[in-house]
This record gives sequence, C-alpha cells and structure tokens, in this order.
Amino acid sequence: MQMWIIPSCEGARRSSAAGSGLRRAWRGLGFAVLGSAAALLICDPALAAEDQALGRYLALECSSCHQLSGASVGGIPSIVGWPEAQFVAVLDAYRRKEREGQVMQAVAARLSRAEMVALAAYFGALSPKP
Amino acid sequence: MKPTRRDLIIGAGTIAASGALGVPAVLGQAKARIVVIGGGAGGATAAKYIARDGHGAIAVTLVEENETYQSCFHSNLYIGGFKNYDQIVHRYDAPTAAYGITLVRQRAARIDRDRKEVVLGDGSRLPYDRLVLSPGIDLKYDSVPGWSQAAEEVMPHGWKPGRQTRLIREKLDAVPDGGTIVMIAPPNPYRCPPGPYERASMFAHILTSTGRTKARVVILDPKDSFSKQGVFMPDWEKRYGAMIEWLSPRVHDGIKSVDPASGTVVTGFETYENCAFVNVIPAQMAGAIAREAGLAPAGGYCAIDPATMKSTADPAIFVLGDACNAGDMPKSAFSANNQAKIVAMVACSELAGGPAFPARYFNTCWSLVGPDDAIKVGGRYEPKDGRIAATETFISQPGESDEVRRQTQAENLAWYEAICADMFT
Ligand SMILES: Cc1cc2nc3c(=O)[nH]c(=O)nc-3n(C[C@H](O)[C@H](O)[C@H](O)COP(=O)(O)OP(=O)(O)OC[C@H]3O[C@@H](n4cnc5c(N)ncnc54)[C@H](O)[C@@H]3O)c2cc1C
Repeated sequence: MQMWIIPSCEGARRSSAAGSGLRRAWRGLGFAVLGSAAALLICDPALAAEDQALGRYLALECSSCHQLSGASVGGIPSIVGWPEAQFVAVLDAYRRKEREGQVMQAVAARLSRAEMVALAAYFGALSPKP
Repeated sequence: MKPTRRDLIIGAGTIAASGALGVPAVLGQAKARIVVIGGGAGGATAAKYIARDGHGAIAVTLVEENETYQSCFHSNLYIGGFKNYDQIVHRYDAPTAAYGITLVRQRAARIDRDRKEVVLGDGSRLPYDRLVLSPGIDLKYDSVPGWSQAAEEVMPHGWKPGRQTRLIREKLDAVPDGGTIVMIAPPNPYRCPPGPYERASMFAHILTSTGRTKARVVILDPKDSFSKQGVFMPDWEKRYGAMIEWLSPRVHDGIKSVDPASGTVVTGFETYENCAFVNVIPAQMAGAIAREAGLAPAGGYCAIDPATMKSTADPAIFVLGDACNAGDMPKSAFSANNQAKIVAMVACSELAGGPAFPARYFNTCWSLVGPDDAIKVGGRYEPKDGRIAATETFISQPGESDEVRRQTQAENLAWYEAICADMFT
C-alpha cells in the first residue's frame, strides 16, 4: 500500500471553517493520511467546504444509532465531540476489522479516508446537548 | 438576511458536488412544496430532514391520520414484558415545531398525479412539487382461508400498531398452562422478516416465566426458511426446550383454513383444535394510498429507482419504507429511516440547491430471544443493476457468549432510543 506524507497547508486550514479541528486531527494522526485525494480535499478551502457537506451527508446514516445530541443510554456510545484523529483511527480500525463489532465493521467497510475525515470533522464540531 | 456560515458551506458544497445540475429551476420562486404522506419510520424522518436541510427553501407538510405514532418496532418487547406500552408511543409536536413542518392530521384519500395534488379525507387538496410516500403496509385479509378483517379481534395479527398489539398481549396472558398457541407466519415479502420469530420467543419467555411450562407455541410457516433461523432455532431449544415448534410447508403441507369461532387451524397434515390463541400474520402489500395511485403492481410493492428512491412510475414521487420494493433491504424501521435520508438528500438537492451525493444504504435488525439475549442481522447496500443490492452483510452466530448477547441487546435498546430521537426530536 502506498503512503503519502501530507504536505503542510496551514494557510488554507486557517481560512477554512473546519480548519482548527482538522489541523488537530492531522497532528494527532501525525504520520500520514492515505490517498492524495484526501490531502487535496483537506488543503483546498473550497473543497474543505465540500468536505463539510460530505460529512453532514454521511452523518445522516450515523444518527439512526448515535444520537446527534450526544445522549446515550449505553450499548451504543455517543460519538459527538471526539478528537478527530481518534474518530478516524477508530473507524479505520473497524474498516480493517481490527476492532470487534459487526455493525461498525460493515459501516466502515466502504468508507474512504476522506469520508472518515469528513465524518470526524462533522461530529467533532458537535457538542453534547444537556 | 446575512447568510450563515452553514449556508455558505452548503452553497459551496453544492457547486462542487452537484455543479452539473446547475441552479435548480425552482430557486427564486416561492417555496417549493413537499408533501409527506405517513408519519412513520420513513415519513417522519423524511419530513424532518427535508425541512432541516431545505434551509427554508422548501415548505414541508406531513399528512398523518393518527395523533400519535405507536411503533411496531419494539412492540414485541412490550409483548414480552420488557417495555411498557407508553414507551413505544411518540408524538409529533417536537419535530414539527423545531423544523417548521406543517402537520395535517387527516387521512390522505388519494393522489391526483396529473395535477400533482394530494386529496385529503375532507376533500381539500394539497398541491406538491414532490410527494414523499411512506404509508407502510396493508394486510391481505384474504390470504388465509377463513380469516378476515372481522376475525382480527378473535385471531389478531398484531402487525399494525395500537389495539392489535395490546390484543396479542391480552390473549397471551389468557393462555392456560398446557394450551396451544398457533402462529401463522407470513409469506415474503413482509414487514420485519425476523419479527414473527422474535414474537414467538417473547411468547415462550412469558409462558415459561409465569410457570406455564406445558403450553406450546406452534409456528406454521408458508416459507421453507426464515430470517436468522440458524440462530433462533438452537437458541429456542437451549432456552425454551421443546416449547416452540417451527413447521415448514414440507411438514404441515399447507395452511388450509382457520375457524375463528372454534379456534381451529387446519393444515394439510394436522388440525389444531381449541387453540388457546391463534396469531394470524397474513400476507402484506404496499399501503392503499400508494397502490391506488398506480405506483405498485396489484397486491405488491412500489418499484423505485435505487439511486433516488423515486417511483419508477412517477419522478415527482418518492416511495420509501415498507411500501417500496427496496431490493435486498428488508422492510424495517431502520431501513425506512435510512432510506428517508437519501430521499431528503435528493429532494433538497433538486429543490433547494443542496449537495448531491451517491446513495448508500444501511440496515440492522435486532431481535430479542430472551432476557438480555438478542441477535442481529444487517448489511450495507448500494444501487446496482437497477436495484438496491447488498455489498456487505453480517449476522449473529449460534453459540455466542452470554456477554455478546447481552451487548447485542444493549445495542438494540440504544438503537431504539436513537431512531426515535432521530424521528421525533
Ligand atoms: C412486530 C413487529 C416488530 C418489528 N420490529 C422491528 C425492529 O425491531 N426493527 C426494525 O427496524 N423494524 C421493526 N419492525 C418493522 C417496522 O415497524 C416497519 O418496517 C416500519 O414501521 C416501516 O416504516 P414505514 O414508514 O414504511 O411505515 P409505518 O412506520 O407503518 O408508518 C406509516 C404511517 O403512515 C400512516 N398512513 C398510512 N396511510 C396513510 C394515509 N392514507 N393518510 C395518512 N396517513 C397514512 C400510518 O398511520 C403510519 O403512521 C417491526 C414490525 C413489527 C410488526
């Protein structure tokens, strides 16, 4: 598998709405994000907006089980307000079937890295409602 | 008004994601009108997300005949004593207020497709630019000889919510020790494929936990196999011994007739007399409003375009949930809620300039077998060759640890809370 080290694009990040969050995710990931498409998506401010819309769309699927308010009665965890790097890492672990869970393995099976990053940004920006 | 950050983001997303569509024709006119018929798992979700993501460009009207929504999902948990009835009753006040949805508490009588109008029970008309249909199922009262709508009090189905669900529990409570319950299972395709077998589990749970250990539950199935059979059957034996008996058509040789007056069920092989309780779950079809609009073949379900959930017969009408033929996706609340989000995405992209993305679907159906013991089946789906096709599937395994089963039930309970929050808040 090929790996790309993501070049720095701090300028673009600063001007984009999701900038700080994604930057955090990135530093957390530290090493690399797979796929040049993901890198492009993150660095271009217009595309970062598309990334937001993508996250919002993909998140529609999640809210059938994970409440957007952050409420949880156990059994299924809240996923709002997570550090983005961790969000991506957990999804990726499900995708690779390294983390147990039939439902989440199937959810993650076809998610691209860019989609995971978009989801992480969307849920990372939500805060739990009282 | 100053556009919000979100508006800008969505706007930019539109250009990038659906640039080829250009500016939707209806922008600049008065608000586009979407009418949703049916405030269930599909319709309540669709109304909410269209209103939310239409950013004020779409007027959403939800037509629902009942004041409250009583969910069929988790009605088996009520029957099994794991939920109170009021835990499966929901109101429309919160989402209609929060998202500015107009609720019309009436039955939709028919659809005038030529004029793009819904005709309500009182004769008034609701014009639409897009119509969303999620009316659920109708029962085929003539699919079991001797059974009829008039017999549904004596031999209840419990496959539509409300009084029918409560009747099932009442009849179950009246079964004497040593009594026989006969369940007539439905033929495919029907609402909630594992539902009859979850219900049989709940029957056995109530009977054993109230000391009626000599009662039995006979399932007469018109199908040769059923959902999660390979997990249900060993679990039944382990948990309930010989109490639940499942008979395929090869054994019973066909369900010939029922007699509600005497509580008799006749099969090609044997006759069950003086049944303590007969639960007839008949064959099913798309709700009347969809069938009568010419969107479904006689006695069937509505064909849809898997990329958009639009009727193949009318591009101004989306059909989702139990009323449509969703290919490999089962008829479940999870599926209906999930499909509603594709409907909302497509509708908002066409009428409000929202972004368009490729459709993807997901479903999971949990079933309770006994206390703290649930199993599940599910999958991911995508449009393929004109239908919604499974790309990944998963299913619980026989002999899983108690801890896995307990965890699966915890998921089931959390899913119910989440889907109801998704529909009703
Ligand atoms: C016993 C049982 C257990 C189940 N368990 C599960 C489960 O565990 N998980 C799961 O995912 N699914 C489960 N289901 C399936 C689930 O209930 C259905 O698949 C789901 O409700 C389908 O949603 P829908 O929107 O298509 O229809 P519904 O939820 O039935 O909603 C249809 C709505 O439309 C209204 N309506 C219909 N026609 C008109 C009209 N002409 N005018 C106005 N209003 C109208 C009705 O009043 C109703 O409110 C179960 C079903 C049963 C019977």
